[in-house]
Amino acid sequence: MAEPGFRQAALPGGAEPRRRLPVSPGAVKAAASVARRRLRVPDAFPLAPPTWPGTVERPPAEKTLGVHYDSDWARTPAARLGRALVQDLVSAPAVRALAHPEVRGLDRIAHLDEPVIFAANHASHLDAPLLVSVIPERWRRELFVAGAADYFFDTRVKATAFAFLLNTVPIERQRVSRDSVNRVSELLADGWSMLIFPEGGRSPDGWGQPHQAGPAWMAARAGRPIVPVHVEGTGRILAKGSRKLRPGRSTVNFGRPLQPGQDRRALASELEAAIAALADEVGSDWYTARRRAAAGTTPPLTGPDAAGWRRAWALGERDGSARRRGRSERWPR
Amino acid sequence: MRALQIERSLPRFAAARVAGRPAPLRLAEVEVPELPGPDWELVRPRLSGICGSDLATVSGRSSRWFEPIVSFPFVPGHEVVADTADGRRVVVEPVLHCRIRGVEPPCPACAAGRTNHCERLVAGHLGPGLQTGYCCDTGGGWSLALAAHRDQLHAIPAGWSDEAAVMVEPTACAVHAALLPPESAGGRAVVIGAGTIGLATIAAVHRLRDDITALIAVAKHPDQRRLARELGATTVVEPGEIRRAVRRATGSWMLDNGQLTGGADLVYDCVGSPESIAEALAVAAPGATVVLAGMPGHTGIDLTPLWQREIRLAGAYAYGPEPARGGRHSFDLAMDVVDAAGLERLVSAAYPLDRYTEAIDHAGSAGRRGAAKIVFDLRNEKRR
Amino acid sequence: MPRPGFVLEVDRSTPPILTWHGEGFRLERLPAGRSRVIYAPEPVKPLEDPDEAIRHALLNPLGDSEPLPELLFPGMRLTIAFDDISLPLPPMRRPDNRQRVMEAVLDMAAAAGVDDVVLICALALHRRMTEAELRHAVGDRVYDAFAPSGRLLQHDAEDPDGLVHLGVTDHGEDVEINKRAAESDLLVYVNINLVAMDGGHKSVATGLASYRSLRHHHNVRTMRHSRSFMDQERSELHSSNWRMGRLIAASGVKVFQIETTLNNDTFPEQMAFLQKREWEWTTRDRAAYVATNKSLSLTPPRVARGIFQSIKAPHAMTSVHAGEVEAVHRATTEMVYRQQLVPVEGQTDIAVFGLPHLCPYNVNSIMNPILVMCMGLGYLFNLYRGRPVVREGGVAILSHPTPWAFHPVHHPSYIDFFEEVLADTTDPVEIEKNYEERFATDEWYRHLYRTSHAYHGVHPFYMWYWGSHALEHLGRVIIVGGDTRAVRRLGFSPASTLNDALEMASDVVGRDATITHLHCPPIMIADVH
Repeated sequence: MAEPGFRQAALPGGAEPRRRLPVSPGAVKAAASVARRRLRVPDAFPLAPPTWPGTVERPPAEKTLGVHYDSDWARTPAARLGRALVQDLVSAPAVRALAHPEVRGLDRIAHLDEPVIFAANHASHLDAPLLVSVIPERWRRELFVAGAADYFFDTRVKATAFAFLLNTVPIERQRVSRDSVNRVSELLADGWSMLIFPEGGRSPDGWGQPHQAGPAWMAARAGRPIVPVHVEGTGRILAKGSRKLRPGRSTVNFGRPLQPGQDRRALASELEAAIAALADEVGSDWYTARRRAAAGTTPPLTGPDAAGWRRAWALGERDGSARRRGRSERWPR
Repeated sequence: MRALQIERSLPRFAAARVAGRPAPLRLAEVEVPELPGPDWELVRPRLSGICGSDLATVSGRSSRWFEPIVSFPFVPGHEVVADTADGRRVVVEPVLHCRIRGVEPPCPACAAGRTNHCERLVAGHLGPGLQTGYCCDTGGGWSLALAAHRDQLHAIPAGWSDEAAVMVEPTACAVHAALLPPESAGGRAVVIGAGTIGLATIAAVHRLRDDITALIAVAKHPDQRRLARELGATTVVEPGEIRRAVRRATGSWMLDNGQLTGGADLVYDCVGSPESIAEALAVAAPGATVVLAGMPGHTGIDLTPLWQREIRLAGAYAYGPEPARGGRHSFDLAMDVVDAAGLERLVSAAYPLDRYTEAIDHAGSAGRRGAAKIVFDLRNEKRR
Repeated sequence: MPRPGFVLEVDRSTPPILTWHGEGFRLERLPAGRSRVIYAPEPVKPLEDPDEAIRHALLNPLGDSEPLPELLFPGMRLTIAFDDISLPLPPMRRPDNRQRVMEAVLDMAAAAGVDDVVLICALALHRRMTEAELRHAVGDRVYDAFAPSGRLLQHDAEDPDGLVHLGVTDHGEDVEINKRAAESDLLVYVNINLVAMDGGHKSVATGLASYRSLRHHHNVRTMRHSRSFMDQERSELHSSNWRMGRLIAASGVKVFQIETTLNNDTFPEQMAFLQKREWEWTTRDRAAYVATNKSLSLTPPRVARGIFQSIKAPHAMTSVHAGEVEAVHRATTEMVYRQQLVPVEGQTDIAVFGLPHLCPYNVNSIMNPILVMCMGLGYLFNLYRGRPVVREGGVAILSHPTPWAFHPVHHPSYIDFFEEVLADTTDPVEIEKNYEERFATDEWYRHLYRTSHAYHGVHPFYMWYWGSHALEHLGRVIIVGGDTRAVRRLGFSPASTLNDALEMASDVVGRDATITHLHCPPIMIADVH
């Protein structure tokens, strides 16, 4: 039996047996601020923007950021081409090297050929680029990511970057507005697929959070199937609040698509259950997961209702899913 | 007297090895051999066979083992049917042992009657030589006359053809080989090779060993396969099929590297090549006996199976009284086998001495050309 | 709307006809005025939502059967048996029918709270499948859920503890099948019915049987009385299996049969010309043919074999039926006939069969000479209903390289059969009488069948029996372009070209003999009137 702790201790000097990236996000930030200081950006008018006289009333600023950000430009042919190049040549190889994704369940969506909504659990900033790199080609090229308006679209630089790189469209974390729903529905009707994280944000502690109602609403509104997706392992590679990247393995498990019916609430809870069952499938096996799903005993993704350390303790027990895949035999010929 | 003679000539042996031609052999006018003693007489060969060991000698492939026990120049030919001066037809038993060499007292082996084990092959009034046909003093069968000791001569029954008679000597070798190993419990034997010795061994095993019920013969060429079947083989296979054939017959298993878990109790290798000996070891059961009936040479084979499975590797050389048959001499038994199995059919072609190059060629490719034994026919040579 | 099958009368303006030749194909010009070519019907439209169709079938069973969920209860023993690697041909793209059906069945079993589930690959005397092959058939999810805990098994017809003898039919046939399957509360059998021979009572009575049971219908007499074994109404093979199947049902084994059919969409897009009529080849098809043929001529045979074995067919599910065995099988057979039946008028003197690289017994393996015989005279010859395509005393011309080559792991007893048995005789009756028992009981073959990936020792005999009806029926068999020695060992005549073969055939059937070329694959059944 493999005992990770044992292997760790056996290393000379007790060094941490993990590879580290040469550059961490923290280092990048620090370098940028140093560079700014070194360049001495001039702070005097007219080289700097003018200051506003206190005696003049400011007109209400046109809202162009946050949920009002207009990301249409990111779907022009030029932007799409640029994005495809960056994704294929930079981000996809980088994500593969970092997260070694194992993709399962693609056969469950093989028959779909229309725009769909991919709804995944969310543990890390890595989730979106990872999913974008493993979603099959026929959706990947026409895919947008629903991103939190308050987080990704608070400055013009960030908004532009995310709109370009991931084709991110701003959306409210909670209580999605009618405008957002309309915008998303239009995009779905135009043949774009959506990637959304129904938890509304990354997990603070590794466990999942309760779902928001938005995705089910949008699916019902657009009449498109929701594909539940479970991502496992990204939380260990780049957790929320972590400044360190720890390359590791991850699993992406696509589930059977859910068709929106009349009942939005039912769809939402169905989606939550489906993602939990997918997680169960990765942790145990498919039939056990089906048995528990049928019996209503699927372990919830949100973890035990208890204090911090017990949640972390329980998380440790859930991890360490079995690895698999045999190579096909080579016969003498 | 015309004779084919071999001289000690290193360049010629080397040339033979390289070019593959019978370079050391030449047709010469030689003296009729002098009779070495009172019990000797001059006999005149009628037919004289070309043996595998002869081919090795003339092509320079013979082992250096023989160097001290032959004497140059010699006239080859030890499978001889000949006329004596007083008109009897005889076959020559070629081994030159103590009594024939006039060694007194005889060596322990000869004293016990095992003349093929003679320890005095270089002593006495003859030059060194293990057999007639390798000794400078006796002459050999590939000529018009040779000197033979009275004890070397075996009379031919009346009514026998010369072809049958010339098969007696090689068949005697096969008889000796066939009777060498102890009784087999499993009743299965394998004969690898279907040249003259192989076919004669098949005939001998079939007729002299009642303990063998299944005899698997390995033969390369179609005519050999037909003859093997006619002479008593129950199964005849091609060289590549032997392991599977033995596996089927013995119900053993075959492991991943092709090695068998069991095998045959008796295996006769009548080829003598490294490959055939390795194959013989591969199909031998634990505790089996592998008999080398064909003359082997230098080999580099893996003897691990010999050790791990306690296989006995036994040489079978020449002939003598056969304990397994109450001490009857191999030559007598061979005459029975030749007669019963009709082995004269193995004599495929006869050549005059003049055409010795063709004869040697034919003998060298006998199997491929549908032949077995090639002989020199000396009956019509001009005697001067 | 897919077009039905078609019989082409060859005239002077007919282009050369594509003829399969192992890992390759040739274009052969057939004599005008006396030749015809039979083309399979085009692929029928597949089910739009196969998963939904499966659910529907499980909930609405045919015949005397309750819906599947009502047969499932907590604490029961459930066994799901499924077809092995020999189906379908070529292997289909993922997801395989078996995976779809098994997931649907298991979903219902999960809902019913069934814990004791065992999956058994019903391979009879075929070789055990490898992990990769099983994953392809049942899917990764099912494999990972059952294989690690030893609940995904492969039937072992030589396991003394794993078989149960259920009785003897009124024809004296022993019925001995897999013990776990027989002792389950419910046995679900998941079929892929590629040809009309598959399925029905044959699924359980053959797929899960022992040698002792199989030898009652896998023998020369039965095969000679199955005309053909693709036509269950006139097949002794099926009569025997039906008797056994009814005995199995009578002994209390509850079988829930699920049968699926496929369309004959056999080759991927880039090889589409293989299932088109030659005069309809587009420029692209012709370019693909030339490029394929050219590159194959430069490819060593081993590499070519690897390439061809990697072909995954775009087969799509056309129907699924579930419930009581006989009712299900009637519905399924109708679907198979709808896809494959081609009406043909009268017999001919000469039949030409181009043999592809694949038969049911060499998936991921080598098509050895015995399989060439079985494919030509067993399968292709028997693709008829009514009467054989070729008249009695006629000639069959097979086209295949017929290499003297065997897969050492998959076909060990075939090598011995070829070296020993066929060197002695090619008469099926003699072979059955003199050799079958020794091969069937050989310890080494048994060991390899049970622990490695080898076909059972007796399997090459069945291959030979498969062709025994044709051997009796035909006046002569000629193989075009085969290894001469191997062809002779099979007891057939070698020819280097089709024209030579036709010339040789004229010795038997005269100069103006009529010729029929079965343009297969895709698979079809000639309905000969």
